[in-house]
Formats: sequence, structure tokens, C-alpha cells
Amino acid sequence: MIAIRERRPATRPGLVRVSAIGFGLLAVLAWGQVLAGGDSGAGDLFRGDTWTRAGEFAGELLGLGAEGESAFVDGALWQNAIGLSVETLAMSVLAAGIAGAAALVSFLPAARNVAYGELGGSRRAVGVPGYMVLRLLFAFTRGVPELVWALIIVFVFSPGVLAGALALAVHNYGILGKLAAEVVENMDTRPARALRGAGANNFQMVLYGVLPQALPHLLTYLLYRWEVIIRTTVVVGFVAAGGLGREFRLQMSYLHYDEVALLLICYLALVIGVDLVSAGLRRLAR
Amino acid sequence: MRAVPRAPRIEGRGLLTLLLIGAVGLSALSVPWGGDLVHPGGGSAVGSIVKALARVELSPEFLRITAYAAWTTLRFAVAGVTLALAIGLPLGVVASGVLTRSGGRKTASIVVARFVLALLRSIHELVWAWLFVVAIGLSPMAVILALALPYAGILGRVFADALIDVPEEPLRALRSAGASEIKLLVYGRLTIALPDMLGYGFYRFECAIRSAAIFSFVGVQGLGYQIQLSLDDLLWNEVWTLLIALAALVLLVDAWSSQVRRRLVS
Repeated sequence: MIAIRERRPATRPGLVRVSAIGFGLLAVLAWGQVLAGGDSGAGDLFRGDTWTRAGEFAGELLGLGAEGESAFVDGALWQNAIGLSVETLAMSVLAAGIAGAAALVSFLPAARNVAYGELGGSRRAVGVPGYMVLRLLFAFTRGVPELVWALIIVFVFSPGVLAGALALAVHNYGILGKLAAEVVENMDTRPARALRGAGANNFQMVLYGVLPQALPHLLTYLLYRWEVIIRTTVVVGFVAAGGLGREFRLQMSYLHYDEVALLLICYLALVIGVDLVSAGLRRLAR
Repeated sequence: MRAVPRAPRIEGRGLLTLLLIGAVGLSALSVPWGGDLVHPGGGSAVGSIVKALARVELSPEFLRITAYAAWTTLRFAVAGVTLALAIGLPLGVVASGVLTRSGGRKTASIVVARFVLALLRSIHELVWAWLFVVAIGLSPMAVILALALPYAGILGRVFADALIDVPEEPLRALRSAGASEIKLLVYGRLTIALPDMLGYGFYRFECAIRSAAIFSFVGVQGLGYQIQLSLDDLLWNEVWTLLIALAALVLLVDAWSSQVRRRLVS
């Protein structure tokens, strides 16, 4: 797919304009259908009782009008939520680890210049079938969202941290694999060629000519993905029954909205914390 | 081979690698290894999933259902992204602080707008969707809003950074010609930053397809909804059709958006 794309002439006049018009038409069509359907809910946004209900819900989130003690002053609930936050964090790290490891062992054959033998200076395209299979695998795993993977994975694995981490890992494997393969395709191939010229074997060439350039990129991408993964871990937890997501789903169904708010606070703290740590670690990767 | 010069700051990277491996190992401890990690019927489930791949459901009737579900998902994605652009652009302009000259009001508006953007994008769209469904009821509008809010948070921040990163020279020329701040924004910053902003917007469009597909979890139609229906009946051949359709739709938009980005982003 990539190969075909790159062989096209570089300038196709008007593609941007055609795309902008095309997207505009899509938008008109989409909004037209949404609003034409009598039950779009758009009219509700301008009705008073919708906002009264939304206000009541916001109040319940804040714990107003709840009988008994508010969830926010209940130490046991906080303890539980913090425990679940740790579990959520573990799930996200495990997911990133599995996805990163899987991408690490498979990104090289998925790079076009490796598959076609250009990187090593030999012109034998022995790796092409493997390249195509891997690119197809990346595309498929990346195209299906984490939550859908979770729905499928719970048919095989018992719900829990591992099932959730696997669902997150499958999707992110596709993303990381593609990004890492593209790094190799776009990198400076002179060190690798020089090593080859000096008589290095394949293993040495990869170890000294390819990995030193590619790995920092892969690490950076992995840390960026971790920031996305931590946001999604909660959602996957709805299905895979791990961490904050499981409890969120439970408390939503019990209508314990102040406990939902407490879980959301932990979720936000987790997201912000991971963003900060990831930014710090990315500086190490550079 | 020892003579190959090492990249600078390898210590940082080595440390980072060790840290990451340690963190993953530590996380693995939270999994209850052994016991019943795999369902008793898990093995046979894998068997039927793999077998179903050989007879993917391709009847015209089911393909029609799939195509309609794909359009429904696409429709939510397009509507969500357009609304996200409408919310994210003004917020991004405020967050960039280019409209106000300087002083306390400028700092305050930047801080408030950046905080709002961060809050919007910190919460996953499905969590927003669930909260909206409870707050204002299940309707297409509730879901479109849920998609638009976190996307507006991301777009707004990216737009703000793009507006700030505009080179100074053309702006100086406009300023010396007597342009007001608004004109400076419209004819200077927005015009210059537009390709980057459009390119990123198109990229988020691709992400929006996946997001729209999972709103089935709160009861919205589309590819995700059909996947859940087929999973409930264990019709793996139908699940494969729908998964392939979803991946194909995402890849199609990905190919489109990367073509557009290639021409837009310098």
C-alpha cells in the first residue's frame, strides 16, 4: 500500500480542495441526517427541563441531596478508589509493555527498505511476503478500537487486569508497529550501508546501524501512547472488568453518582500524573 | 565493532529502558498468575473464532446491514469532528493569547482556556458519553457532544500552539501597515497556520471513526452496535465481516487524511 502511494506523482493539483469540498458535503449530509431524524435530541438542548435534569445530575455528582454521609468524606471509599487507581495504572503499563515488546520484535521486517533488501545493499526482496503480512496485521489491529478488542478477548481470557491489558496492547501494537516501521523507512541508511560495506553481518548491522537510530523514536512513541492508554484503560475496564472502569460501571448502575465523581477525580489525577511522568521520561529518551 | 561512536546521552536512554522494564515487571505482579486466567471454554472460543475466518459472512443482506452501520458510524464521526472544530477553534484562539496584547487579562484568559482544554481532553469520549446519556438522555446529539468535547480539547491545544508558532516577520509587516489584532489573526496567523491546522483536523477525523464505533456501548447504532449483536449470538463469521469493515473504513480515512496532510504540512 505504502509502495503504491509513494510512486504516485508528487503533485496532484486540487486534492486538498477536493478533500475540503468532499468533507464539507459529508458534514452537510451527516448533520442533515442527524437533525432530520425526529429524535436527534438537538431540540432537547433548548428545552428547560433537559437542563434542569442535567443540573440535578451535576448536583448528584457533587453529592448534594444524598441521604447519609457523602462519599467524599468516606475513607474506605477513597482507599478502595486509590487501590483501583493503582490497578488501572498497572494495567496501562502492562499494556504499553506488551505492545512495545511485540512491536520491537516485529517492526524491522515491516519496513519496506528492509523487506526489499535496500537497507543492506543487497537487492534481493526476500522479505516481501513477511512485510505484507505484518503491514496487514498492523492495519487490522490498529483499525479496530481497544474496547472492541476487549469485547472479543473476554471470550478467551477471564475478565481482569490481563484481559484489559491485552485488549489495549493489541490496538497499540498496530499503531506502534506502523510508526516504528516508518521510522526505519525514513531513517538515514548510510550507517547501515557503511557497516555492511565493512563486512558486518545482518545482526551487527541491525544492532549498530539501525537500532541506535530507531529505538529512541520507538521509546518516544511508546511514552506518547502510554498517555492515550491511561485514558482508555478506564473504558476498557468497563468490559474487561479491571481497575477504575469496573467500579465506574458498577456505581453508575447503582446510581451512586457521588461515588462516580470520586472515581472521576482519581481518573483525572491518574491522567494528569501520567502526562507529567511521560513528559519527564521523554526528555530522557531524547 | 566497539569503535562505533555511541550516541550522546546513552546513559539517559539506558536508565529509561531499565525504568520501563522495571515498571512493566512490577505491573505484571498485579495479574493473578496461575488460577483461571483463561476461561474453561477459552480454547474452544479461539478455535471457533479462527474457523469463522474461513467463512466470513458475505451474504448481500448482511453486507447491506454492514454498509448501513458503517455509514451510521461515519455520520457520527463527521458530525462530532465538525462540532469539535467549532468549539476547539475559538477556545484555541483564546488559549493562544494572540488577541490580547499583554498584562493580567491576557495571562488569566490563557490560563483559564488552557485549563478548560486540558479538562475536556483528559476524560475519554466514552466516559463523556455515559455522563451525557444520564444527564440529558440517550440521543444522537448527546453522543455527538460527547465526541466533540474531548476532541475540541485536543484540537484547541494544537491550534493554540500552531497560532503561536507562526513566524514573526509577516505579522510585523501587517502590524506596521496598521492591522488590528483581529485582522492580524485572520490575515496573518490563521492564514499561515491553516495548513497545519487542517492537516491535524483531518488526522483527528480518522480517530473519530474509531471513537464513533465504540459509542455502541451506551446504546448507539453503528458498526460497534452490530459487533455487539453478533457477539451476543456468537456469530463469529458476522463479527469478522464487521471487524474488517471497521478496519477498512478507518484505513480508508487514514489514507485520505495522510494524502491531504502530505500536501498541507510542510
